[in-house]
Amino acid sequence: MQTAAGAPIIEFKGVSKTYTTGTHALKDINIKIYKGDFVFVVGASGAGKSTFIKLMIHEEAPNTGEIIVNGFRMSEIRRSQVPLLRRTMGIVFQDFRLIPTMNVFDNVAFTLRVVGASSREIRKKVTAALSVVGLGNKSRMFPAELSGGEQQRVGLARAIVNNPSMIIADEPTGNVDPNMSYEIVELLTEINRRGTTVVMVTHEHQLVRDFNRRVIMLENGTIVADNADGGLES
Amino acid sequence: MKLRSIKYLTVEGLKNMWVNRLMSIASIAVLIACMLLMGAAIIFSLNVDKALGVLRDQSIVMVYMQDGRSEVENKATANTIRDLDNVKEATFVPQAEGLESLLDTFGEDAESLFTFVEGENPLPDAVQVKLDDLNRFDATVSAIQKVEGVDSVNSMRETAMRVNSISRLINIAGFWIIGLLIITALVIISNTIRITMNSRKLEISIMKAVGATNNFIRFPFVVEGVVLGVAAAGITMVIIYFVYKAVLGAIQESMMTQGAVPFTSFMWPLLGIFLLLGVLAGAIGSLISLGKYLRKEGSEFRAY
Repeated sequence: MQTAAGAPIIEFKGVSKTYTTGTHALKDINIKIYKGDFVFVVGASGAGKSTFIKLMIHEEAPNTGEIIVNGFRMSEIRRSQVPLLRRTMGIVFQDFRLIPTMNVFDNVAFTLRVVGASSREIRKKVTAALSVVGLGNKSRMFPAELSGGEQQRVGLARAIVNNPSMIIADEPTGNVDPNMSYEIVELLTEINRRGTTVVMVTHEHQLVRDFNRRVIMLENGTIVADNADGGLES
Repeated sequence: MKLRSIKYLTVEGLKNMWVNRLMSIASIAVLIACMLLMGAAIIFSLNVDKALGVLRDQSIVMVYMQDGRSEVENKATANTIRDLDNVKEATFVPQAEGLESLLDTFGEDAESLFTFVEGENPLPDAVQVKLDDLNRFDATVSAIQKVEGVDSVNSMRETAMRVNSISRLINIAGFWIIGLLIITALVIISNTIRITMNSRKLEISIMKAVGATNNFIRFPFVVEGVVLGVAAAGITMVIIYFVYKAVLGAIQESMMTQGAVPFTSFMWPLLGIFLLLGVLAGAIGSLISLGKYLRKEGSEFRAY
């Protein structure tokens, strides 16, 4: 387990979230995640994992408490600043979310087009990102021609192509076979080794056990365990 | 937004149109129908206005001078009338010219009908007056009557009032027809964009996740809306050209059409109106349909 010193890159201070339906998704959450951390967020269905991610990317706002991500204070963030916040992070989805009508290259390039990168820059960065995930030779293929694991690697390439300071992965191994799951986490580990903070939500306990990293465990919207200080054995 | 982003998004907008080409064609067709109705209303109104203008110009007010005044004095009175408010034109008609014109009206029979005028002219000097605003007809006629040297005023009051009410009716009807058609065009475009947008929910949710601004997301849709509007405007103009030509040709065989407004005189303004309508309907229509969706976020957006 590695935890860097300095100011946290993600901080939750007394955060609670209740949806309009009355569901208490998170209750009084206090977390600090530092630059270079690799954190697993685990918990059963309905434990609050998705809400945790939604709050981090400002898809939802908390009812109480304060969230600071990459220097953006969520209580003060303006609508026009939300895209800027999201450009500092790469998001990996469980369902890959690749555009079926675009080939692998264009799917990855999409992130760079949004920030107005030049064609030259796009070519250079996309090629590099695809080689990191081992798909350099499949850039002209379409998502439907790839396996689940390969599609997720494209999603991973899209997340890292703009050099984000953190990767937020929402159940990235949920739709891939077990072998591929290990490859995906190994890739995330490699990305983390290069200095990118990784927050991965998962319910696959075996994976969590095999990769010895910080684990935050949620249950009914509260943190029941966090081995940030070396605790949590099971 | 950077120039290369604009280029990329413009191409994306055009691609969207192609991908949803059936919907695009349907929208263009309905927009053309709207614009044709609007064009017909405008051209009809222009022609009626021109016909009414001819009536209006037929010297609706004729002012006769008192007897025993010199031509110089009467010309001065004509100048005074010309200076009155709401008087567009005041043309002095000396008595000799007035008689000549009267005789002309009766053509060949004039000599036998007007034998009694031989050697003397019973007509006084007169001033033909045209007014600017027929709404102020009575007030202006009354002001003319008060001018020194004026004997009587012969006005075609009823004609003036009828011309005025017809022209007002056409203006009001035109306003409502055009207003309703603009709203229809907006609804059509925003519906097309909404359908396009539904088919691109996934893409929009990814755009949001990777940090696209709302303007970046909107741009291709606005391009699509504007192109639909412009295409409809161009096609409508071509249709109007041929239909107007055919209609004038058909009328010409049965009656005089010198009075009809030529196509070239309204071609550019009408094209301008259509383009403006097309561009505005395209831009506003797409913004309306996107507005409420863009307030949604990521997965929430996809579920919407």
